[in-house]
Amino acid sequence: MKLMLDLMIMSGVDDGLQLHYRTDNSDGQWETEANRWLISIGRREDSDLCLRNDSFVSRLHAYLRWEQERWWLQDLKSTNGTFVEAGDEDARVTGTIPIEPGEMFRVGHTWMRIQNESTLT
Amino acid sequence: MALIPIRDILANARQESVQLQHHYLGVEHLFIAMLQIRGGITASLLEEQGLHAEYVMDAVRRRAEKGTAQRLWVGIPYTPRTLIILDIANDLAADAELPESTEREILSAILAERDSLPIRVLKRLNVDIEKLIKSAQTYTPIRDSQPLDIRVEFGDLFDPHESIDGEQLFVLRRIFNEYTRIRVDRRLTGFRNALILVVTPIQADGREDSAVVVKIDQSDNILDEYQRYESFVKMALPLQTARLEDRPVAPESSRLAGLKYTLVASGGAPPLDLRTRVQMLGTGGLGGMLHRELYEQFRRAWWQQKRPYRFQAWQEYDWLMPPVLTIDVCEPEELPANPFSLRVPVNRARLNTKMKFLQCGDPIVIENFVVQRIDRDNGVLKLAAGYGAEADKRAYRIDVRGCNFEKQTYYRGQTLDRVVGKVWKTRLEMMADAMVELEPDFDFSARTIPCGDLQLPNPILLYEDMLERYVNGSMSKIHGDMHLGNIIAGPNQSLWLIDFGQTRDGHTLFDWASLEISMLGDGVMPLAGVRWDIARQILACVAAISNRQPMPLENISLLSAMSTVSTIRDIARECLTTPDDWSEYFIAVALCALRAITWKSMPLGGRRLMFLLSGLAIHEVLNQENPSGEKPSADPSVPMTDRFVFSVPGLTPPKTELLSDEENFTLRDKRRDKKL
Repeated sequence: MKLMLDLMIMSGVDDGLQLHYRTDNSDGQWETEANRWLISIGRREDSDLCLRNDSFVSRLHAYLRWEQERWWLQDLKSTNGTFVEAGDEDARVTGTIPIEPGEMFRVGHTWMRIQNESTLT
Repeated sequence: MALIPIRDILANARQESVQLQHHYLGVEHLFIAMLQIRGGITASLLEEQGLHAEYVMDAVRRRAEKGTAQRLWVGIPYTPRTLIILDIANDLAADAELPESTEREILSAILAERDSLPIRVLKRLNVDIEKLIKSAQTYTPIRDSQPLDIRVEFGDLFDPHESIDGEQLFVLRRIFNEYTRIRVDRRLTGFRNALILVVTPIQADGREDSAVVVKIDQSDNILDEYQRYESFVKMALPLQTARLEDRPVAPESSRLAGLKYTLVASGGAPPLDLRTRVQMLGTGGLGGMLHRELYEQFRRAWWQQKRPYRFQAWQEYDWLMPPVLTIDVCEPEELPANPFSLRVPVNRARLNTKMKFLQCGDPIVIENFVVQRIDRDNGVLKLAAGYGAEADKRAYRIDVRGCNFEKQTYYRGQTLDRVVGKVWKTRLEMMADAMVELEPDFDFSARTIPCGDLQLPNPILLYEDMLERYVNGSMSKIHGDMHLGNIIAGPNQSLWLIDFGQTRDGHTLFDWASLEISMLGDGVMPLAGVRWDIARQILACVAAISNRQPMPLENISLLSAMSTVSTIRDIARECLTTPDDWSEYFIAVALCALRAITWKSMPLGGRRLMFLLSGLAIHEVLNQENPSGEKPSADPSVPMTDRFVFSVPGLTPPKTELLSDEENFTLRDKRRDKKL
């Protein structure tokens, strides 16, 4: 199974930046047995998505994971939280929630979204 | 007017970025810089869609959030999205054979890119983006100060003493810019700041269109109300009622804005607010109308939603009270080593203990409070615990005086890390001031207030205890400011609500407690008189309604007015969460009535009654808990604050002089006299 994912940063100093991930480039962490792909988000240099410019992001803050043929957002008990849009307020993510391409979510103070994703065969 | 070139916009955008402690140049900063251009394309096009530039700026700032003092990079880099947008703008300028891009090209580029933070904010504000894209290409800015040639006449019922100032007239003309002539039929009274008028527009051929109700107020209030209406109210209105069919009018050159309530199915006599109706026509039939035309029409989508909701009274009612503190801002150097600090989330127990000792001049640090309102004319920042429509976010109001709005950018919804100041007044002192104005004929710092044969608990000493209480209530869509002035009587005895600025999900009974208070203060007391003994007499009638006893009254018009209060109680009964458990209603009445003693718009007699009513409601709450009939003050479970002490210089001590025995008759005496 080959997968690709484009993420776009939607706020802050990196607003508009697009990031590309592909399983066949060994991006992220592919677990063949579980048929699962993990993209780590955090401030740590070795994160797949490193948000070094947002001091509200924890070292290992959240995972975007592809599992059971869809995308999930998992908050890793971060200090300042992971959020999704919900009306006038942002709703804090606890645990793992399903996330759709195009849906905005916030890690620390940085908004982002899944721009593109596909299964390459 | 020449279009502003890109270099000027970039300079202002940089400044905005530094003010917000962002230190990068994002699309949000570009957009705010363009909104700041007076008479610019961006501000004018948004005005066409009923939005004020300042209002949009604050919404963008709120979404972008202020950054921290910490800087993680050098300089002020452009974001990737800004670079893309400047590229698009350059191409547009080249196409138009311009030497450099201007406001028009940058705006068109931002709109074409579609994904930036300001565009997301505009979408939330219900802006028609496609329309903006079209108009941005062709719009030529004109000076909007050109006077509109609309004749404003005043009807016979318009009180000539009620003047409308030039700025209000300017907005009024803008609202009716499709007409050549309008007639202001009357002004609806009882509103603290807003100007509310009944206006009949007149066609060029002399035909009169249906009268509408117009509201003119600070643009923030008007635009908030419109947003609230669009997202929250519109869907839940009965068929025939007042609606906001047009976008607001918010001229860029004015701090005021206006709204027009269209009265669907109007016709016949011009609409009248209930306050005026009561003054002119009395209260006959009013109770039936309230039940049939208001409660029955709205209840399904509003007060009968009744989702179970257990809350501490302060969550719904603290924001009604005067500010917890009014402070004067001061330099941090003036602070002693360990000043009292008050931070969000507020520790209530600590606050309540501390509030007893705070005095004028005491240093204080306020942390994490949120800007609710910016009063530029008086240099006051109004803060509260949070931001949003819910009551608990507006709790713990703090007024900060002496702010310099030139030096620093503030926006509504901004969280202030730290404000340093000195106490000017506490809530207790504000209420004591209001009491002094009522010239009480009793000692209002005593534990109990004599009232006929009752000794009422003193609400000023017990309101904190009320705010602490847990309420097993319900939550519904509520109007949030339901007084006689906000209910319009149309033809065929129909009743319509206007003024949706406070409409929200909240304690179901709040609306009916507010209406009872308005009915008593604005409707009954002006008919009855102003004296304290009359207020006591009316209070005895309220007590009789609670106890389902006949009212000790003989005056027919007063009896009719009081029967309207009785109808409001009947409606409240239908809204109770637990049948016959009235304590949730009386807590609401106690706090709403106490708040009303500070209202200058309520007549003196009304405010006097409000103080007693608050005491009576607290008495009922304590009685429900302790039905054995013991005097409430004797109940050891009730924490009684000690008599409060006036230590503030310049504050006059309360009047303790009592009326002569002759004047100080009790109701029982009076009734006995009549029997004799």
